[in-house]
Amino acid sequence: MSSPRKLVLLTLFLSAILVMPTGCWSSKEIEDVALFTGIALDKGQPAPIEKEFESKGATYSKRNKVMATLQLVPFKSQKKQGKKQNDQKSTFLNISGSGDSILEILRQFSIRLDRPLMGHHLKVIIISVDLLRKQSIEQLTDFLLRDNEIRPSTLVYVSQGPARETLMSKKLNEVPSFHLSKAVRNRSRTSKVLKPITLSRLDSLTHSKKSFVLQTLVTGGGELELSGASIINGSTGQWIGSLNQENTECLAWLSGDRNAGVIKTDDWNGETITYEIKSLRSKITPQVKGDQISFQVEIHTLGRLIETWDEQSHPTTNDYANALDKRLEDKLAAMMEELMVKLQSKYKSDVAGFGRRLAIENPAAWKKVKEDWDNVFSRSEITFAIKVRINDFGSFTED
Amino acid sequence: MLSSVISYFPTWDVWLQAAIACLVPIVASFVYKKTYSLAGKGRNPNTAENKKDPDPPAPNNSPFSGDYATDLATIRERIGGNSDLCSREFRMAKLNVRATLFFVTGMQNDRVLDLQLMEFLMFEAGADVYAEPERLHDQLPFNNLFEAPSLDSFNRSVLFGYTGLLIEGQPSGLLIECPDGANRAVQEPLSEGLLRGPRLSFTEMLSVNTSMLRRQGLSEQLEIKTFQVGTRLQKDLALAYIKDIVNPDLLEEVKARIQKMDFDFIAESGYIEELIEDNYLSPFQQLQNTERPDRVIAAMLEGRIAILLDGTPFVLIAPATFSMLLQSPEDYYERWLPSSLLRMLRFAAAFMALMAPSLYISFISFHPGLIPTELALSIIEARQGVPFPSLIEVLILEVSIEILREAGIRLPKPVGPAMGIVGGLIIGDAAVQAGLVSPFLVIVVAVTAISSFSIPSYSAGITLRLLRFVGMIFAAFLGMFGTILFFLLLCSHLTKLKSFGVPYLTPVSPFRPRDWKDLFFRAPRALMKRRPAMMKTQDDKRKS
Repeated sequence: MSSPRKLVLLTLFLSAILVMPTGCWSSKEIEDVALFTGIALDKGQPAPIEKEFESKGATYSKRNKVMATLQLVPFKSQKKQGKKQNDQKSTFLNISGSGDSILEILRQFSIRLDRPLMGHHLKVIIISVDLLRKQSIEQLTDFLLRDNEIRPSTLVYVSQGPARETLMSKKLNEVPSFHLSKAVRNRSRTSKVLKPITLSRLDSLTHSKKSFVLQTLVTGGGELELSGASIINGSTGQWIGSLNQENTECLAWLSGDRNAGVIKTDDWNGETITYEIKSLRSKITPQVKGDQISFQVEIHTLGRLIETWDEQSHPTTNDYANALDKRLEDKLAAMMEELMVKLQSKYKSDVAGFGRRLAIENPAAWKKVKEDWDNVFSRSEITFAIKVRINDFGSFTED
Repeated sequence: MLSSVISYFPTWDVWLQAAIACLVPIVASFVYKKTYSLAGKGRNPNTAENKKDPDPPAPNNSPFSGDYATDLATIRERIGGNSDLCSREFRMAKLNVRATLFFVTGMQNDRVLDLQLMEFLMFEAGADVYAEPERLHDQLPFNNLFEAPSLDSFNRSVLFGYTGLLIEGQPSGLLIECPDGANRAVQEPLSEGLLRGPRLSFTEMLSVNTSMLRRQGLSEQLEIKTFQVGTRLQKDLALAYIKDIVNPDLLEEVKARIQKMDFDFIAESGYIEELIEDNYLSPFQQLQNTERPDRVIAAMLEGRIAILLDGTPFVLIAPATFSMLLQSPEDYYERWLPSSLLRMLRFAAAFMALMAPSLYISFISFHPGLIPTELALSIIEARQGVPFPSLIEVLILEVSIEILREAGIRLPKPVGPAMGIVGGLIIGDAAVQAGLVSPFLVIVVAVTAISSFSIPSYSAGITLRLLRFVGMIFAAFLGMFGTILFFLLLCSHLTKLKSFGVPYLTPVSPFRPRDWKDLFFRAPRALMKRRPAMMKTQDDKRKS
């Protein structure tokens, strides 16, 4: 009786021993890792603290191609027994370092921090325009895409000024990287917020060698704004130019991926009238005649006239509405024209999806021009057919 | 050609790993069998019979001598040492013979004894009784009147509470007046409360319990068979079933297992459960216990068998399946839509009661990336200053909750609720304040505890509580992988488990679509026209 029991106990014990030390190896308590939620990439130059380190001889061999700034959360001076935490200073810590490889910089942070970095919760990547002039976006995001910790849903932004400034905020209790990742919620109110580009989307865009736009950030006075878009050239992967806010809006309407936003113009008395788009439908029809490729763009929008400063107007009659429709159509057409001039003449890049329409509707023609598409696009004729309809005047009192 | 094939062959270390991986199930099943046979021997039917034969109940063959004085002396000698035994010797006036009344104090109705029995025997019992000894049964005006076959059974019965009567000139002792010991009134079921439905619950008296079953409805098919169990102290055990529904093979199996039971005293139905269940190593109960007659009768109508034991209000239902543990009689009394919702809630609660702490451990210690960022941040802030790894943290709180719950059962009624408040609120809050545990964990543990209270069967609740700790260990060592592994192990064990030949997980596995009507949700009664397919009943129509 006793010998089989001993054997069984021994086996159980040994198997437990086998499992237990081999387990646990991947155990990391959540409070023992440092989450970073934002990463900003800037032109290479030693960060101020780094300069001090280096002056004391803390160096390693590098050429300072890029500076990376991480936003670590939550960072709080630990207050024990403090039930009322009313003096919350900053909830995040930004840490900068420069070097030649992004991974190397991240690992370099490990000799400055008390907890290992963990990238599962990375929300935004911000790349400065200055850096994108020198390096291609493919090179910069290579590590971020390869790494398995970093989610493909991370958003990518471009910053007009230094990228690390976008990760600073004067607002209390606000983490700028969260602010940036949540700002896309405003797409239902304005088309100036572009469809967010995630890391995985960026991957497909860079590999297809097509030009594309990224949302641009502008900082000022400790706050930031999503302002316009940056055009990344498909073949070089570098920054070639910016679109202003109205261009960005038009771009969104043109590609039809968002039906929000306002159109403001003056009426015949020189007073402001504002129209808000309720629904918008756009259609790009390519026409191929021999070598000549042209596009017909139809834009139909329905919306409400929601603000007018003209006290003399009688805003319910059909005539009035039709006259206003006309003015709004002219205004929209002018905006579109401005965008097309920039895209076709200034930057010579198709970021509005004309090429894609052509590829879908006329694959044979697309095949011929595919290699040189940005040039062909800049020469093709684009005509607009714009219809704006007001179907709602809001509520007002009749005299 | 061949060399190119060979180049794809794995190296020896891969083969070694494969061999080890192959050994794991073999070793595991070997260990399991060894463990099973260790304690399985006591339940072996052969040993039980072998034991019985060499030591036959020796005292059984000592008959009455027929001589009053001798028998009286023998009885006095054998059981006279009991101080609670009263023997009242008297003379029957009309017959002029001596007689002795034996009884144990406190087990008879004193009024009946004094006023009726004694009066009758001393003054009224006349010559007609005495003249025809063989007609004694008919002549004495008692409802319960047996002739004791031997002196020893007379002694035993007297000590069990019968009133024994020894009359001069009679060949053997008589047993009159059944035991009427202290008994409890019928109360509401304590462990299985519900809002709607009968409030009746079984008591400790077997005869009361069987009568409760009979009173459920008129039927000639409800059959109750009584057995004597226990080798030293014998007790009555009754099997109840519906004769024309129950599967005869199942009935035979239950009877056989009951007869094979070999234990000196069966104190409670838990003893029976452990002695006749299929797999004593399983954490899951393979017989359902209940104190509700309506539950028993419903089970019998599904083709199950009830095992009633004298001296306990808990009746066993065999066979049991997993789905029964999460069903409540109320599901059938309420309308089908709300009861389906409640039943699904119970499944969710059972899952949470089992897995919530292990999920917490695996998320906190292994996969912080799987928590939504905002939640991760608040957990980090909450856990700042908690000095323990999550397993220790969870164990501290879980163990104290379990202790609290155990204490709550033992505590006297007026103190109980106060203790719950002290324990739940003060200890939890103080532990957070002291930095022992994080506030987030308090939520997890509270949700777990509340979920486990929603399980209708108390025994199933204990099983889940036990398994929760196992799951926590798995999670602490292997993270999410361990948690899933634990769940899979549990599932594979349940798939293999059987209760009296009925697979425990049926109708999920083996798949019986017909029985799904009464599994996660309860179909309207109009759709449940037939009895569960899993019971293989003789008559499976519920509607004509």
